Order: sequence, then C-alpha cells, then structure tokens
Amino acid sequence: MNSKVLILLFIVLLHITTFGKPNPIIYKTRLSFPYEQMGLTKRQAAVHLLNRFTFGIKPGDVDMVLDMGLEYWFEKQLSSAQPESELAANLASYDALKMNEETIINSFLPQFEIRRLLKSEGVFMADSNFDKKEYKAFIDSFLKEKNIRLPAEYQRQLINQKILRAIYSNNQLTEVLTDFWFNHFNVSLSKNQCAMHILSFERDVIRPNVLGKFENLLVATAKSPAMLEYLDNNYSISFNNEISKNELNNRIKRVAAKAQAPFQDSGVINLIKQRKSQGLNENYARELLELHTLGVEGGYKQKDVTEVAKIFSGWSVVPLLKNNDGRNNFEKSKYYNIEKLGFVVDGSFLFRANRHDDSAKTVLNYHFSPNGGYEEGLKLLENLANNPATAHFICKKLAVRFVSDNPPENLIKKMANTFLKSKGNVKEVLTVMVNSIYFWDENSVRKKIKTPFELTISAIRATNATVKQPYQIFNWCNTLGQKFYYYQAPTGFPDRADYWVNTGSLLNRMNFGMAFSANKIPGVKMDSTIINNNYEPESLDAAIIGISNSILPESSTPKNINRVLKLVSGKELNDKLTQIVGLLIGSPEFQKR
Amino acid sequence: MINRRAFMKNGAMTLFAAGLGGVPSFVTYAANSNKIINPYKKNKILICIFQRGAMDGLMAVTPYTDINLQKARPGLFMTPAKSEGSIFDLDGSFGMHPSLSKFNELYKENRMAILHGVGSPNKTRSHFDAQDYMESGTPFNKGTESGWLNRAVGLMGHEGTPFRAVSLTSTLPRSFYGNNEALAINNLQDFSLKISGSNSAVKNTTTSFEELYDMTSSEILNKTGKDSFEAMKVLKSKNLKDYKPKIGVIYPNSQLGNSLKQIATLIKMDVGLEVGFAESGGWDTHYNQGTTNGTMARNLTDFGDSIAAFWADIDAYQDEVTLMTMTEFGRTVHQNGTGGTDHGRASCMFVLGNDVKGGNVYHNISSLAIEDLEDRRDLPVSTDFRSVFSAVASNHLNFNNPNILFPEWDGAMINLMRS
Repeated sequence: MNSKVLILLFIVLLHITTFGKPNPIIYKTRLSFPYEQMGLTKRQAAVHLLNRFTFGIKPGDVDMVLDMGLEYWFEKQLSSAQPESELAANLASYDALKMNEETIINSFLPQFEIRRLLKSEGVFMADSNFDKKEYKAFIDSFLKEKNIRLPAEYQRQLINQKILRAIYSNNQLTEVLTDFWFNHFNVSLSKNQCAMHILSFERDVIRPNVLGKFENLLVATAKSPAMLEYLDNNYSISFNNEISKNELNNRIKRVAAKAQAPFQDSGVINLIKQRKSQGLNENYARELLELHTLGVEGGYKQKDVTEVAKIFSGWSVVPLLKNNDGRNNFEKSKYYNIEKLGFVVDGSFLFRANRHDDSAKTVLNYHFSPNGGYEEGLKLLENLANNPATAHFICKKLAVRFVSDNPPENLIKKMANTFLKSKGNVKEVLTVMVNSIYFWDENSVRKKIKTPFELTISAIRATNATVKQPYQIFNWCNTLGQKFYYYQAPTGFPDRADYWVNTGSLLNRMNFGMAFSANKIPGVKMDSTIINNNYEPESLDAAIIGISNSILPESSTPKNINRVLKLVSGKELNDKLTQIVGLLIGSPEFQKR
Repeated sequence: MINRRAFMKNGAMTLFAAGLGGVPSFVTYAANSNKIINPYKKNKILICIFQRGAMDGLMAVTPYTDINLQKARPGLFMTPAKSEGSIFDLDGSFGMHPSLSKFNELYKENRMAILHGVGSPNKTRSHFDAQDYMESGTPFNKGTESGWLNRAVGLMGHEGTPFRAVSLTSTLPRSFYGNNEALAINNLQDFSLKISGSNSAVKNTTTSFEELYDMTSSEILNKTGKDSFEAMKVLKSKNLKDYKPKIGVIYPNSQLGNSLKQIATLIKMDVGLEVGFAESGGWDTHYNQGTTNGTMARNLTDFGDSIAAFWADIDAYQDEVTLMTMTEFGRTVHQNGTGGTDHGRASCMFVLGNDVKGGNVYHNISSLAIEDLEDRRDLPVSTDFRSVFSAVASNHLNFNNPNILFPEWDGAMINLMRS
C-alpha cells in the first residue's frame, strides 16, 4: 500500500468518526471576545468571565462555560431567564418575600406599634396585673392570632435571601448587578423610617431594572418609599401652590365672614405657623445629582440643588400603616377625586400636589415652566439620565466594578458613547465592555479584591457547602467590615482594594477560611467530597493539586504555595486537607477575583 | 541607654518567639499602677476624631447673643438660663450645648480650646468630597494619594512600632493613606489568628499564612499581610485583660466610646502609639434635629461623654496626649423645612490637652446677618482647617514643616499650643 492510499484511508476514517458522533450544538452569538489577542487561553478567559459576573466559581462551572461558549454564556446571563428551581426551594420558607409592601409594613411591627395596637383593640390595660411570664404568653398568643411579628424577623429574611440568591441563583449576573445597583442607589437598614421598605426596594425597584434602561431605574428609585424616606424627600414640602394659597385664603375669608379678626383666629395662626416651620429638604436633591446621576464634578451648583429640591417637593409615600391618622386621612381623600387636583397615586408613591412648589425652575440649563406638577420631576429625571456627565459617571462605576479599580479612560469613553446612543441601555453598555480588549487585559485579570460578601459566597460556591443558617454568613461579613444593608452613607460601599484590605480585616479573612473549612460556622457545612471522593488522595501532593485546582482554577499558583501547603500538620490526612482548604480560602490568591 | 522603642519591638518579638509565655512583670506593674515613673522620654500622642456627617457647629457651640441666629432657626435656638440643662456660657457670646456639659470643666481648666468658623476653602457641600479634601489635606487636589496624618507620621523623624498609627475603624480612613505604616483595627480582641488544634498546628498554620502573604505578587495584600502579622505578634505579647478602664471611668457603649476605650488601652499598653484615629457618626441632621433632647443632643452626649471618659482614663498620660476633633463642614444657619439643617460651610472643633492654650473660643466670626453669610445661607469659613491641624500636629508631635504636611498651603498657624 502506498502512502497516498494510507492518507486517503485516514481521511475517510476521520470523516466517519466525526460523522458518527452527535452534532455538537452550535450556539449562535454576535459576540467574539478578544481574549486570545490579550494572551489568555480559552480556559483562563472562562475563569475570568466567571470571576467577574458571578459570585464565585462552582466546581464544574468552567467546563460548562467552555462547552457552551463564553459568548453564549454571557448572552444567556444577559437574558436573565435561567430556571431557578434550586433557589426557589431554598427561599420557600421565607414568607416576607412574597408580601407586598403594605402587608410587610402591617405584619412586622415594632414594639411601640404593638402596644398601640393592643390599646386600640382594647385588650391591653395599663394596670393589668399580669406577671411577666403570663404577660409575655398573652402577648405572644395575641400576635400569633393577628399574624404579627417583630421587624427583626423581617430583617432576617431580607438578609438571608440575599445570601441564598447569591449562592444558588442561576442568573448570577442579575444578582451581581442587583448588588451593584443597590449599592449605587444605597438605602440603609440603619434608618428606621426606611428599613421596612428595603425588601420591596430591592425586589421591585432594583432587580427588575438591573439590565434595562438606566432612566427606568432612576425613576423607580426616585419614586420608591425606601429612597423617599432614606433621603428625607418624604418630608420636603412647599406651600407655594394654588391649593395651599386657596386653603389659607378661604379660611381667612370664613373667619372674616364671622366678623372676626382673621389674624387672631387660632386656626389661621396655626396654619401660618405650620407653613413657616415646614419646607424644603435638600438631601435627596443633592444626592440625586452627586451620587445617582451627574457625579460630584457634573457641573451643578448649590442653586441647582435648591431648584431640584423644589421640583421634588411633594414627592412622598402613601401612608401604609393601617389604623392611624395619616392612613385614615389618605383613605378619605380617595373620595375627593384628588387626581383632578394634580395628585398622583402610583402603588405606594404619592405626589402631593398641595405640597409641591408650583413656581418656574431652572436646573443646569433645563427650564421648567410654572405649574409643572408631577411631570416636571419625570422630565428632570429623563434629562439627568441621558446627560453626558451621567453617562461617564455610571460607566466609570461599572468599569470599576467589572474591570479594575482604575479603568482606562478609553474604555469608559467607549462605554459612555454606547450609554448615550442606546439611551442608557445597561445590556449594551456591558456588552461593549466585555467585547473590549481592556476587559481581558493583564491589568484586569485577578486584580479586583473580593468584598467580604464576595469572599464568603465564593468560598461556599467553590466547595459546594450547604448553608442552613445563612445569617451566620452575614455575621462574618460584618466582622470582615461589610455589614451589608446597613451602610449608613448614601455613597454605598466604596469599590476599591484599599477599602477592603487592611490589617484587621486581613487576619479575619484568614480566620474565616479556617473556621469555614473546619465546619466551625454553625449551619454552614462544607461538602467533604471535595476533599474525599473527588480526590481520593493517593498522596498529599495529589490532593493539594486537586483541591487548589478546584478552589483556585487557572490561578498560576506558584509551586512554593504547594510547598507551604504541605507544611500543615494533623494526625489524619483529612485533618490536613481541611486545613489546606482553610489556607487556600484565607490565601491572598483567593482574595482576588 | 537602650532605645526604648527598639526595646519594645524586640522585647515583644522575643516573647512571641518564646511561645507566648507569662506576662512580664513590668507590664503587669504598668497596668496596675496609675502613675508610672517611666525612665524613658515618652513620645507624644495625637488623637483625632472625625465627626462624619457634618456637625452643626452653631448648635454645639452656639453664638447665642446673635439675634440673627434666633430668627433663622426659631425651633433650634438655645440661650443660657439659670435652670438645669441649658447652655453653658463660655465667654459672653458663645455657649456650650448642655449635652457637652462634661467639657465645661476641661474648658474652665484651660485644657480645652474651641475653634469656631473652621472649614475648608473648597466650597463643596458634598460629604464625601469634603471629607476627602479634609483628610488628604489638599482641598483643591483630588489626586493627592496620601492622607495628612500619614504625612505627619513621616515627618516625625524616628522609627516607630507597628502600632505607631492606629485607626479604631474597620477600614483604613483616608487620613491614614500613604507610605507610612498605619493600622486599622476594629476590635483589639479580634486582632489574632484563631486557629484550633495543637500548638504545632497553630504554629504551622500561622507560618503558612505568613509565607503565603509574603509570596503574593499583589502589592497591597503583601504589604498589608506583613503589617498584620507583625502587629499581631506585638499585641500577643501583652495580656489585653490587664488593661481595663480606670475605676470609675465609664465609656458610653457606642462606636466612639468603644474606639476611645481601645485607644486608651493602646496608650496604657505602651506599644508605641503616636497617632490615633476614631470616628463618630450620625451628624447629618436634616430631620428633627432637636435642641436639649433629640438626635443632636444624643450625638453630643455620646461625643462629650466618650471624650471625657477617655481623658479621665488616661490620666497618667495626659501630658503626652492631645486630642482634636474635626468634621467635614457645618450646617445651614437657618433651619430647613423638616426641623433640621442642611449642608452648610463652617463648623467648630475642639482641641484638648495639657499643652493646649485652652479656655478660649478662637474665631473670626462677625455676625450671622444674612449679608455676612456665605451664599447668603451659611456660616462662612473664616479659619482654614489647615491652620488648626498644622498648629496642633507640628507643635505636639514636634516637627516644623507644615508645607509638607499641607502642600499648596502657606497660611499661618493659629497660636493655640504652648510650645
């Protein structure tokens, strides 16, 4: 047989073999990530992609992305439509997640509201001579009957669901962006008036809009009770409108009609007093410009802030707590056709036309004619959302989160152009970012420091740990410097390495690694198969390689790290392996993503 | 004579190496004694407290004789009265808020000075920006990488221990950014590796972590790792339990109270603290600020009681310590529509120490008539914060180069320290 025939036979055989296999699924995608150009292998690129757009890499994730294709995986994440049965099972027992805002407010009552309720129901008398035990049992049964619990239970559910979503959600990008946008539009459990609205804020205001248009997100936050309370806009009012003027004039006329001196009438005096002592609050107006849209260098002045405050005067919250004056008045007002007077009720948002400044306003170079009502606020938000300063500010923040602490200006400009062209379409902005070489640059890969939340969740995901008591993870995050949902300032947590890495917190990160791997965190159990079955250790060496590949895939763990890991002591091999997992999670490499 | 600092450092290391044995007698002696006769010259210690959120200086130390103030904030105005719980007249024109009553004695003893109308020449009314500028010490330059206290550490011209600059916060404050070593510790008790198992397991794991951080290519993790391990060893050589507050001293159970309690511990432990930093929050009183009761009064009580407790607790060290407070800006002269005040310009600060020329309100405030206000609404900044910071730091820490401390500034220091 000559060589030509051999070659032909070989080609035929090759053909048959490929033919015999099932066709690989070909995913169509318009994207093509430039990672090869930047010197990354496909596997390294998959790890980078997962590190940036998930809360941590689970065993098997990298192969899954490789099989699927990086671009297709990313597009599926953008579509945010992966089934969530595992997550749903984990969240099943959290009933507050299914309640609307009004139900939440009326189901979780602070002590003083409970006392008020007991009083109003006539079941509580100040001189009741219950002993303490009896009294407590009585209250408990009363609350049970009314299905009322304390706010602490609501906060527990809120905190736990964030942890469970981060661990189990298949739409990881949505969860990562929910965290990002929540932090951008920060509100805080530390402020009581705002606390009970936060669950709905995250669920109804943030999450549905994370991959949509920025303007929608901005309007939704502006109208949200959580933000209105957090930045005091609920109390920012003006009497500079026809309704208020008429109210005062009519009262004066009525008094005068009775032939009395109007300015000696107590009703008139009180009204004037009230109007002198209440008015604008600039808190929301300023943070809207500085933190939500233009950025501090966005070119606005103190006068703009005051004008913005006037535009949002009267933007407030429907009284949701039942059986009190505010609520009763609101219910009565429904019969007066208040919409005709310019009032707007939209869910729990209430525009109070009689507390809105009706005058003409100017913000930057946008002019607003008198009597603009509720609409002028929307107009302003639209202008702000599509302002070039906003585009730059938002795109920079996204790039800091997903690319590096100091993203190149070229990248930000590219993203900002897309932002303006697409009217703030977050999907398109993210796509431009991942399609750019900067995303895959060596200055980006493994250069972001994990926040405590990212650290703890990624440890759980990397080891397939089961989490029965998610709150324990919250406690650890707190120790590590990230008491999430409680950050007091409207800036949200800073997003840069030196904020998270400091002497005290670093030791605690190591402590977390050791406590976690030794299963010392109550209700959190690492899957021991990661150190047993998967790597039935022939030798310590083999086990170390197996574990570090699993926990830190594609990190160029230098050989001497393995040397260090070998130093661990312990009677049983398993003890040693547990310590190795702890060392890896506490190691500098695992602090990066 | 052996250099005390080197002795401390080496001593601590030796103890650690020897297996964390018993507490040396001199430490216990120091801990149990109120007055220590220390044969070595002590270093000076500067403690800074940042009041985040912008304290209403016009309410803390109120120019009660100015009729304009009463007009602008009818619901928030306070005057001295004979009754309990009214403001304390300082000099016939300023009065101390009753919730700061613990300061009254310190002021009368001339240990406490008040500076009013202090702020930044940069007009920003953004919390974040104003804090950033105040802490970097460069009000017109965002790019300054270092914090002013870190530069101050560099100017002292001698070596320090790992505990030379300590912030009692969970993260490093902007004031401490820079090349000189500085620590952030939220809780001294947390400052250790908690590893279970045999002694050798503990030792091996500690060594392993140390090596891992020593090897990493990430600069920030590498440097911070080194600092952490060194500081941990020093702290381990001391027995924290031996350092309780002085009998009779009660710190408020608050962020500031706990921070100052731990700073006092570090001072008494003699681990080489030279610059301490603590924070106090909740000053952003847009809503229902209150007068003798309410948010502002609660904040001031915590603030005043914490500082007074600290001062009493460190009585053996008072000659070495100066304490200075700061806040990013003040609040509007007029009250807003919700019983509070909005972001303004100048506020006031407190400086406490035995080498402070106290018992005086330093200020250049003329009147609060609307035409004298900045933007017709705010107490104008008549004293640059740098003229106070530099006076306190350079006199107390004994260096003379405010230009390095505050580049791009050539103003004059306020003469409020005995040098």
